[in-house]
Amino acid sequence: MNAAKSFYEFFCPVKVIAGHKALEHMAFELGTLQAQRPLIITDKGVREAGLVRHVEQALEGTAVTLAAVFDDVPADSSVETVRAAAALYRARQCDAIVAVGGGSVMDTARAANILVSEGGDDLHVYAGAHNLTRRLRPLLVIPTTSGTGSETTMVAVISDTERGVKVPFTSRVLMPDAAILDPRMTLALPPYITAMTAMDAMTHAVEAYIGLSANPLSDAYATAAIRKIAENLPRVMEHPNDANARLELAQASTLAGVAFSNSMVGVVHSLGHSLGAVCHLPHGVCMNLFLPYGLSFNASVVGERIGELLLPLVGPRFYAATPDAQRPDKVVTALHHLRDQLWQHCQLPRTLQETGKVRRDQLQRVAELTVDDGSVIYNPREVTVADALELLERAWA
Amino acid sequence: MWHTTDFVPAAERAYVTLMMGIVGRALVASSETDPEIRDGLAAYPEGFRIQMTVDPGGPAFTVRCLGDGRVELVADDSEPVDLRVHFKHRTHAFLVLSFQEGSARAFANNRIYVDGDVSHAIRLLRCLSRMETLILPKLVAEHAVKHYPALPLSAKVPLAARIYEHFVLNLVPGARA
Repeated sequence: MNAAKSFYEFFCPVKVIAGHKALEHMAFELGTLQAQRPLIITDKGVREAGLVRHVEQALEGTAVTLAAVFDDVPADSSVETVRAAAALYRARQCDAIVAVGGGSVMDTARAANILVSEGGDDLHVYAGAHNLTRRLRPLLVIPTTSGTGSETTMVAVISDTERGVKVPFTSRVLMPDAAILDPRMTLALPPYITAMTAMDAMTHAVEAYIGLSANPLSDAYATAAIRKIAENLPRVMEHPNDANARLELAQASTLAGVAFSNSMVGVVHSLGHSLGAVCHLPHGVCMNLFLPYGLSFNASVVGERIGELLLPLVGPRFYAATPDAQRPDKVVTALHHLRDQLWQHCQLPRTLQETGKVRRDQLQRVAELTVDDGSVIYNPREVTVADALELLERAWA
Repeated sequence: MWHTTDFVPAAERAYVTLMMGIVGRALVASSETDPEIRDGLAAYPEGFRIQMTVDPGGPAFTVRCLGDGRVELVADDSEPVDLRVHFKHRTHAFLVLSFQEGSARAFANNRIYVDGDVSHAIRLLRCLSRMETLILPKLVAEHAVKHYPALPLSAKVPLAARIYEHFVLNLVPGARA
């Protein structure tokens, strides 16, 4: 039996509006926030995919006028991008921001909201932890992938290209007023990106559940997310146009986002951040590569917690038929099986070799970065460079 | 009239003030003697300032990195620091400094927050964990660190003795000149 949690914090003030025709609730939500002229912040890929058009159509004939669309957000947002978005907001006299996209778009929207709410053009004044205290302008977010969980986090990271550093901002006022999950926004997502982002969400949920900051509330979100992904990811791979399964994945991503923004993540993310930095692989691919190995690594410390994940992963019948001692291994096996399915559907790499982008001589550098990553402190088991290197070797082939 | 409720905060404050001073000096001594800690601190550039503080208003200690893995205590804390690690409350600092709660657990419990690059803070906490492993008895250190490494006494005692030696010598101006 698990001991009572001696201390925890939990915070999530984001209103979640999820379901079919959810976009059509946007005008009402903006109205309740006294906003009528939103600026949409997005990227060119999202706009070219026609997703902004869904948002525009949902606002037609309402009291809300779409004041402008800023679609110049790069994959890695910068201070210049944020300033340009804020300038457009001011020039068109906007009174709210609607972010349509993934993590970079949401980070840009949060940072632009700092400038348009606080005034000025110097973001650095507000960098760091809890340096913002006043409420910002209304911000709605509409995710177009089901993975990052950014819609429920209070962090924005913006690149300062002049200084060559990433500038973090953390404050509760950066959390959006509402997140809108509408299956239309993810229906056309290609299988590879669907799989990659869903495995990102799966990793958020799993690491939130086994980490040092896990607590009863984040546990509830994490297990709900795992169940939805385990049930619906294979379904979406088979039937990409299944709107209900797409909606379930979008909700799972948000649930996992709430879980990990309160419980943080662990060594799988530390490895993934480091591999991404050295080898420029997408984050979701890295999560898929390391998840089962990260669990095996932690099993000596939190085996019982890992074993509990068998229930949401494979369902009550198999869980009940599996002896306690075997459950952690079965969880790892179930994740390997899921990864094999994804490989068959869309060739989502399961090993470092399968990525075709990692050299063995890069592993030492990845391992060294891993032990300095911000996530590693929340991992239940201490991670040394030798441990990280061993995990990378296991994931090699 | 005297109440224990008056005594406890005062004792806690005194203990935390004393221990913050000891931790700062022990970090300096460890950086001069233990190769693993020196390797960890060598990643900070020369002149990089690190402060550990208890909100609000201290106690605190500030060290300046010398670029070769050694650090020195800085008495003047008016200059800006590059990394500041805060305990949110004196009682949180007391839990950690009395080894009732490890630093990783305190971090996970949001009792500690960081101004600056988080990966720099992770490196500092790793160095502090290594220091605790060396200078504390195993029974105490096991509460303070996430994992107590396989460290035979024959290796631990000489390293700890050198840290204590440097700690004492650093207290005496000119003793190591």
